[in-house]
Amino acid sequence: MKDIQAEINKGRRAFIKKVLEGTIAGSLLLVIPAGAMDIPEQITGMREEDGPFIKKKKFAFIVDITRCIGCGSCCVADKNEYNVPDGHYRTWVERYVIDYDDNVYVDSPNGGLDGYQVPREDVPEANVRDTFFVPKLCNMCEKPSCVQVCPVGATYQTDDGFVLIDQKRCVACSYCVQACPYSVRFINPVTKTADKCTWCYHRVRKGLLPACVNVCPVQARLFGDLNDRESQVYRILHEPHVISVLKPGMGNKPSLHYVGLRREVV
Amino acid sequence: MQPSYRSKYNTHVIRIIVILVVLAIAGIGVRAMMIPESFGRYGHYRGEAVVDEMNREIRNGTNASCLPCHPYIKEMHFSGIHKTVSCEFCHGPVAAHIQDGKVIDKLPKKQGEAIKTLCLRCHNQIIRARPRESIKMVEMPKHLEDKKVGIDHTCDQCHNVHAPLMWVKQAKAMMGVVEEEAKQ
Repeated sequence: MKDIQAEINKGRRAFIKKVLEGTIAGSLLLVIPAGAMDIPEQITGMREEDGPFIKKKKFAFIVDITRCIGCGSCCVADKNEYNVPDGHYRTWVERYVIDYDDNVYVDSPNGGLDGYQVPREDVPEANVRDTFFVPKLCNMCEKPSCVQVCPVGATYQTDDGFVLIDQKRCVACSYCVQACPYSVRFINPVTKTADKCTWCYHRVRKGLLPACVNVCPVQARLFGDLNDRESQVYRILHEPHVISVLKPGMGNKPSLHYVGLRREVV
Repeated sequence: MQPSYRSKYNTHVIRIIVILVVLAIAGIGVRAMMIPESFGRYGHYRGEAVVDEMNREIRNGTNASCLPCHPYIKEMHFSGIHKTVSCEFCHGPVAAHIQDGKVIDKLPKKQGEAIKTLCLRCHNQIIRARPRESIKMVEMPKHLEDKKVGIDHTCDQCHNVHAPLMWVKQAKAMMGVVEEEAKQ
């Protein structure tokens, strides 16, 4: 008799559990904004990831300087995605001009947001040895100095390797702005907090590529999973390429890699 | 016998202990109030912040968010050489156009000089920093002179912005004679 009772109870428990799971799953589906979900996934398998962090993938970002044409579409997409206030840039494109005397001229009018419409007049054409565009964004360091210096725990590194900012906790003390060796951080005058490129964490978690990667017309920006041996980023990072990171001497171990980087680039 | 220096009274000690206990309790209380609940769940940060970041509004979609409603543009755009150019680069983010499946506003259309500026972001030969093997570059106004068109022409008068060579090819097919004349 007792056994039967226990069995019934087990059944009830299982039933209630199942119902609850169903409702929780249902409510979760309602919470997710419909907009992202009706677009096909760009990073396969991302929408199956559940739990607080991405488990199966390790993302890397590659910028191919040999491909970048400096059109600034990445900057435009970025500004649109985040409504970045004028004069501040989460990502920007620098133009390098190096002459035969090894003088380096760098400029980035409006962060490359309007593209490059005029040539540099101050460097004589005949003396130009090398000239190229360098897109800059958050390096997503494995050892981020910005996280180390934050006094309130507002800047943090997630278990999946993204360095993010807690907009509710940041007190805008600017320690992180000073600590970042790559100058990717700024104090957002609208939110009054520190702000920087997040590699579009919100898009990535919903299976979409970062906004800048998505719009790049020449595939100078690549974003992919290093755990997937078939992926383009894995292939490039394991090929005999000239590939490097910015300021390796700082010891921050960036996850942002450059193809075709010159040693003059800082 | 040594004289006892110990005071018979200990109220001052009790007072200090009471003050310390009160301060400790107040401290614990304030700490509990000030530190968010999810702080320290995954590390030295507020765990819920990850969820906040994840739920940020997606303003740029992908080409797939535009194409279902614009089938004609889709056909034209992806048949041409501009197929790698994203819709939202020129037209703006989909979130400014569609919200909850409804059209909320028209996206601004670039025209006239603005379209010339837009084209020259990528195709301006005078900007030397482009890679050697890359997209087609033109020098303005030399290109207009070479093609024997008015110097004030905008790019979209000859080139369909979605499929740049579509009209050019059509015109060449129709006016084969003209091209031969130009060669001579």
